[in-house]
Amino acid sequence: MKKLLTVLLFFSLGLIVFAELTVPRNETLIVNQLTGRVGTPGNFNLWVGWKWSDRGLQNLLLEPLWCVEYATGEIINALAAEPPIYNKDFTQLTIKLRKGVYWSDGVPFTADDVVYMIELSKNTAGFAYNSQMQEVKEVKKIDDYTVQIELVKPNSRFHTYFLDRWGGFRPLPKHVFEKVSDPLTFEFNPPVGTGPYVLHSYDTGGYWTVWQRRDDWQRTPTGILYGMPQPKYVAVMTYGGPDKQVLAMAQHQLDAADLTMEALRAVLMRVSTTRAWRKDYPWTVNIDPCVTGVTLNNMVEPYNNKDVRWALALAIDIVEYAGNAFDGAVTISPIHIPLTKSYMDTYFTRIEDWLKNFEIDIGDGQKFKPYDPNAGQRLAEYAKKRGYPVPKDPNEIKYIFGPGWWKYAPDVAEKLLIKNGFKRDPRTRGWLLPNGEPWKITVYCTNTNPAHPAYRNAFAVAQEWRKFGIDVDVVVFDTPTVVQQGNYEVSSDWPAAEPWGGHPDLYRVLDPFNSAYMVAIGENAAWGNYSRWTNPKMDKIIESLRLTDWNDTENIVKLGLEGLKLLIEEMPTIPTFNYPGVVAWDEYYWTNYPGAENMYSQPYHHWPNLKYMLPFLKPTGRK
Amino acid sequence: MNFVKRYLLPRLIIYFLVIFIGITTVFIIPRLLPTDPVLQTITRLRAQGAYMDPESTQRTIETLQELFGLKGSLSDQYVKFWQRLFKGDFGPSFFQFPTPVMTLIKQSLPWTAALLLTTTLVSWLLGNILGGFAGYFSSRRWGKILDYFAMVIRPMPYYILALGLLILFAYVFPIFPLGGGYTIGMRLTWSWNTFLTLLRHAFLPALSLLLIGIFVWFQAMKLVVQSVKTDDFVKYAEIGGIKSNKIARKYVIKNAMLPQITGLALSLGQIFSGALITEMVFSYPGLGTLLYNSIFTGDYNLLMGITAISILVVTTSILVIDLLYPLFDPRVRYK
Amino acid sequence: MKVLKDLLRDGKFAFGFFVLIFLIFLAFLSFFSPYDPYRWNVVPRDTPPSWSHILGTTSRGQDVFWELCFAVRNSLAMSLIAGVFSRIIAILVGMVAGYRGGMADRFLMFLSDSFLVLPLFLIIVLIGSMAKARLSLVSLGLLLGVFGWAWDARVIRSQVLSLRERDFTYTSLLSGARTMSLIFKEYMPFLTPLVFATFIGNVSWAIGMEITLAILNVFRIEIPSLGTMLQWALNYQALLLGYWWWIGTPVVTSVMLFIALYLLSISISEYLDPRMRVQRIGKA
Repeated sequence: MKKLLTVLLFFSLGLIVFAELTVPRNETLIVNQLTGRVGTPGNFNLWVGWKWSDRGLQNLLLEPLWCVEYATGEIINALAAEPPIYNKDFTQLTIKLRKGVYWSDGVPFTADDVVYMIELSKNTAGFAYNSQMQEVKEVKKIDDYTVQIELVKPNSRFHTYFLDRWGGFRPLPKHVFEKVSDPLTFEFNPPVGTGPYVLHSYDTGGYWTVWQRRDDWQRTPTGILYGMPQPKYVAVMTYGGPDKQVLAMAQHQLDAADLTMEALRAVLMRVSTTRAWRKDYPWTVNIDPCVTGVTLNNMVEPYNNKDVRWALALAIDIVEYAGNAFDGAVTISPIHIPLTKSYMDTYFTRIEDWLKNFEIDIGDGQKFKPYDPNAGQRLAEYAKKRGYPVPKDPNEIKYIFGPGWWKYAPDVAEKLLIKNGFKRDPRTRGWLLPNGEPWKITVYCTNTNPAHPAYRNAFAVAQEWRKFGIDVDVVVFDTPTVVQQGNYEVSSDWPAAEPWGGHPDLYRVLDPFNSAYMVAIGENAAWGNYSRWTNPKMDKIIESLRLTDWNDTENIVKLGLEGLKLLIEEMPTIPTFNYPGVVAWDEYYWTNYPGAENMYSQPYHHWPNLKYMLPFLKPTGRK
Repeated sequence: MNFVKRYLLPRLIIYFLVIFIGITTVFIIPRLLPTDPVLQTITRLRAQGAYMDPESTQRTIETLQELFGLKGSLSDQYVKFWQRLFKGDFGPSFFQFPTPVMTLIKQSLPWTAALLLTTTLVSWLLGNILGGFAGYFSSRRWGKILDYFAMVIRPMPYYILALGLLILFAYVFPIFPLGGGYTIGMRLTWSWNTFLTLLRHAFLPALSLLLIGIFVWFQAMKLVVQSVKTDDFVKYAEIGGIKSNKIARKYVIKNAMLPQITGLALSLGQIFSGALITEMVFSYPGLGTLLYNSIFTGDYNLLMGITAISILVVTTSILVIDLLYPLFDPRVRYK
Repeated sequence: MKVLKDLLRDGKFAFGFFVLIFLIFLAFLSFFSPYDPYRWNVVPRDTPPSWSHILGTTSRGQDVFWELCFAVRNSLAMSLIAGVFSRIIAILVGMVAGYRGGMADRFLMFLSDSFLVLPLFLIIVLIGSMAKARLSLVSLGLLLGVFGWAWDARVIRSQVLSLRERDFTYTSLLSGARTMSLIFKEYMPFLTPLVFATFIGNVSWAIGMEITLAILNVFRIEIPSLGTMLQWALNYQALLLGYWWWIGTPVVTSVMLFIALYLLSISISEYLDPRMRVQRIGKA
């Protein structure tokens, strides 16, 4: 026994000697992989099936034609040289390409690559964007840096397929793919890209991928636009859950993490070199181009009734709600788009007065103004009471905690319900449906990650409605099919599709509500309209939007506002707050991350924009 | 001949029947799930692809159903499934389309096999030896200490135990890595260095599995031994003046091994389902996460691939045990 | 009562017994809870143990002590359902298969083999996620019961098998005893410790399984149980934030519960096994 122990001890001492990283740590940026362990580590063919694109494929290796930048509300022209050019009736699209870009194997990037990728996709079932590219009648090269696409039918937003917002149809190297017999099974290993990094090594178990800066980084859009990416190596690593990431950060083995609110508090408390997007409370990223909230199924009783939907909204005390969900660290939004700085300026400032005067009919000829312009202020007071530092300037509070929300008015909600035949059980005070049965709501949450806003929204709304007297049950369910096919009442799926994020156009938000896409329960609803709500007025807005050019900002905003107002009047879904992104950075090896005080770029390492952030990082010189 | 006809043949028939039923079950059950692999794939693609209007979504659904082989009736799919199975092919994974299921399994299996084979065998051996002696010399002090230790360690929720080990040995005392199968940025080669790195990364996962495993066997073995040792033949041996160490080894433990051997066969079979929580906590590669993810992504082919293999291994090991059983216990005759 | 007195003389039994009684008392106490376990923010958040909240409070604004009472009640109820249900199946299958032999044996062992080879955990996760919206404590108990008998049936069968080969079977058969009375009169005394031990083992297994399912997010997290309590604490990083009272409570409670069950099973089987009893008397 003793011998065995000695041998074991000897062994374990021998094991300790080896260093953790084979690339120099001070030249490496280590980021967490949001999507977790890669299932197909040796396969880099991003254009077939699901490929864990944030392992470095989209954020380091490849460049898109265009990319959204929601920190500034702009579109970055990456491989494209300028915005898309459509003809009058939107049947022809011309794309000008950037000159001087080379693939990582030295071949120049030209119009041939773009033409080839569109044709390949169109002719290969199972290839990315195969169904979308069926809209292409013909694609041709005008010159080396100009591509012209003829469409089968008018589509003023066709170019958005090539717009990268955590995904998009990105150019692929023709000279590599044309030699391949089956592009579906092709593994694209080693990968060739137009981005500033190339593959260094990867884990055959799927836990990490290491990338190395290209020597000719000047010949990539990133290099041309922003200069040299600072880290020589970038390692994308799956450590596991937020607790594991906190431990890794504590050992300075992870520079950028995706955490939960609680894990963030833990890491800030334990590791002095860490910071979040905002240096103080509320810490969270509030410029994510996504609004969260509650989706109601407008095809089932009683949620097909506008009064009921409004009653449910007014039964929510948004301050308590945000407190339960994220300890108040959110930017609340009463409208169906996230209030990022750019959307706040483009849309909210133009709708605020309308909101203040907006009235709903609550029966007996009475009107009620539901908007509460002080909700953001109240949320800030809640945070103060919890002991967090809160700025005094109301304008600053408006941008951090949000402007206003709907009043907490259970009495008005009660009136709305009674007007529609609902009753309270005289004994339990619980609500009864008009048919006399107890009102029971099952809230479906289709995300099992406890840090996810869908998860937090589901439990927060259950608390509010229980207090109001409805029997609420939350079911966390890792399959969206139930909600997609309409076999639900309430879910915490996004109240509306995310807008582009980097452009005022709201086509992406509004188009799913198009009545042309409406299907019966049991069939798949359009993404962005799991609420199954339509309205002839919305159809008209969508129709006009389709006829408005991408570059006609004034009319785009005007139509967007109309759409938002209609959504508020009808309240098919209840938006609550911006997606509160929780990132943590360790400033031990690298500094100058894009925080709230220095918003040069969006903050996520898993977004394609990571490569545009890297030139701005500064090494600390620590070894 | 009697042996073949009366014992082997029926066992073999049952063996094949069990495999048939088992595999049929894993064919049917995923199809009852509310998870639709095509829709799951599209949801994923949407997370990855910028935008898909409803019309092209519909087109994509049809294409995928075609590619996944999910068109046609259930019985058609079932027949095709068996045809493929005989060729050792489980088709493509849906979620990781078009990577074949076999490729995925081959990727993960070595990690799981190495980790779990070792820990299962070692914990079985150590647990039984310790349990055997502790059971036979149940009044000795070290036996009692081990017993208390087992009592506290074994019932620990495994997740907590694993996380505790990780925090202790990778954070408080940063001796071992926080996760992964080997060092970041390393290329695997055939070298002593590689071997040590692999070992070092496997250490904590293995330790967590061993701790629980050893004490499970320990407790079981101890109980069995305590009852065997009161059997007559042990009494005779004691009266006959045979040394107690020898009695423990030769008579008691040997006899008490019977149920433990069956247990070992079963737990070896379970290896193929992987060690999900171990993999989660230690970020260790393996079949567990593969299997678990296949459930939630509705990846029928992958799910069936892993479970079918697992079923084959378990049934085979049960068969082998059944055939060998009479060799160990002369009281049970081949019938 | 005398049996209990006898048993209580054993330190192991006494410990297990009192822990279990205490936990049952907690479960009973839940009926008098001042708080609804489904409501948040009923008490201040994240406070360490104090006189007003003896086990502190959680980040959801719930009282840990009262949450524990509900959790213990639900976990015990669920595991008892699983244990009893699977015991009934295991005894029937094991006895019939072992004694009757032949076709009945083959069929039943085929059945139990089929259950054994199915990757159990996977199937439970599958069914759990399938029926999640309706998965209540009772149905989880039954589900675990359905899958928890196969191994124990095999154990019981092999015991019966080896009993059948022993002398007294022949003696009783020769003296004209009827099958059923033989099984119950002659075999039961030998089987009872086994059944008891497997019962308690199964209860432990069910509690552990529930914890695993909850950690994997398969069980409904709003139903208070030892597993979901642990899951909430882990989700809210109680460990890293230093809320030891929150994460420690379910861990310590479940470990104590498992130890108590283990000690009870050992002590009871020693007591019931006549050979062991002789040994004990001899010692005393």
